[in-house]
Amino acid sequence: MEDLTSPLHDIRGVADAANGHGDDALLRQFADGDAAAARVLTDRLAPRSFSVALRMLGNKAEAEDVTQEAMMRLWQMAPNWVSGQAKVSTWLYRVTLNLCVDMRRKKSPDRLADVPEPEDGTRSAAERMQDEARKDALQTALSQLPERQRQAVVLRHIEELPNPEIAGVMGISTEAVESLTARGKRALTAILAGRRDELGYDDG
Amino acid sequence: MSWGMTMAEKDMELDQLLAHARQNRPVLPDDLAVRVLTDAEAVRLERLRPPQRSHWARLLDNVAGWQGISGLVAAGVAGVWIGFAAPDFLPDPATFIYVQDSGYVVSDLGLDTVFLEDAE
Repeated sequence: MEDLTSPLHDIRGVADAANGHGDDALLRQFADGDAAAARVLTDRLAPRSFSVALRMLGNKAEAEDVTQEAMMRLWQMAPNWVSGQAKVSTWLYRVTLNLCVDMRRKKSPDRLADVPEPEDGTRSAAERMQDEARKDALQTALSQLPERQRQAVVLRHIEELPNPEIAGVMGISTEAVESLTARGKRALTAILAGRRDELGYDDG
Repeated sequence: MSWGMTMAEKDMELDQLLAHARQNRPVLPDDLAVRVLTDAEAVRLERLRPPQRSHWARLLDNVAGWQGISGLVAAGVAGVWIGFAAPDFLPDPATFIYVQDSGYVVSDLGLDTVFLEDAE
C-alpha cells in the first residue's frame, strides 16, 4: 500500500498565515506532550476530514473510520512534521482522500447501496445528515463521477479550497485541477439532467 | 431538447446544490471526536514513556555486559571440550560406574562422591 505519511515534501501547500501556521504550532505542541493541542487540532481539522470523506464515500460509518485513521496518522507523524513545508490541513486532506480510495477499493460493488436503517426516533444529527446525503441528488450524482473528478469537485466547490492547495492535495498541477473541476461539473450537470428525465420531473 | 431547461439553468441548479452542500457541512459526531482524542492521548502517552529496554538488554546488564556474555560462552565451550576430550590427568568419570556396587544412578553422583567412596 502507498505510504501516506512520507511524501510530505511533495505537498505544495499554500501559506495561510492564520490557520496554517497555527496548526503547525499546535502540532509541535502536541509532539512535545501537550494534550490540549490535540483537542484544538481535532476541533479544527477532523470536521474537514469527515466532511470530505462523507462526500467521497457517501457512508457515515466508513467516513468516520477514515477520519479516525487520518487523524491517527496525524498524531503519529507529529514529531516528524517540518514547519513551513506544507499546511497541516493540506496533508490531512491528502491522507483522507487516499484512505477513501483504499476504502472504496476494499468495498464490494454491491455494498454501494447500503441497507436502510430502521427509524427509531433516536437518531443522531450525523445519522440524519447521512440520510439526507443519501437522498441528496448531488451525492447521488457525485458518486457517479470518476474518482479524480469527484475529489477535485468536492475540494473546490464544497470545501472551497483554492486551486493551488487542491493541486498540493492531489499532487497535480493547478491546470490539471482546473481541467478536472470543469469536466467534473459538466459531468454532474449531465448526470443531474439524466436523473431528472428518469424521475419525470420535466415533461415538456 | 425535450426537457425545456437551458444549459445555463442546469448549471444554476448544480450551483444551487453545491451551495446547499457548502452551507450544510456535516458536524463532527461526538463519538468520533472521542475516538480521535482517545487515539491522540494514547500516542501522546506512548511518546512520553521512557524507552523500554529489551529482554536482551536487561540480560546483558545482569551479566556485566558483552564481556560477561563472552566469558560465559568461553566457559561453556571449555566445558563441552573437556567433556569430549578430557586431558589424561583427569579421571574418566565413566570408569567409576563399575566401582559402584549399589544401584546409584550415575547421573546422581558428583565426582566428589565418587572419590570419597573410592578412597574408603
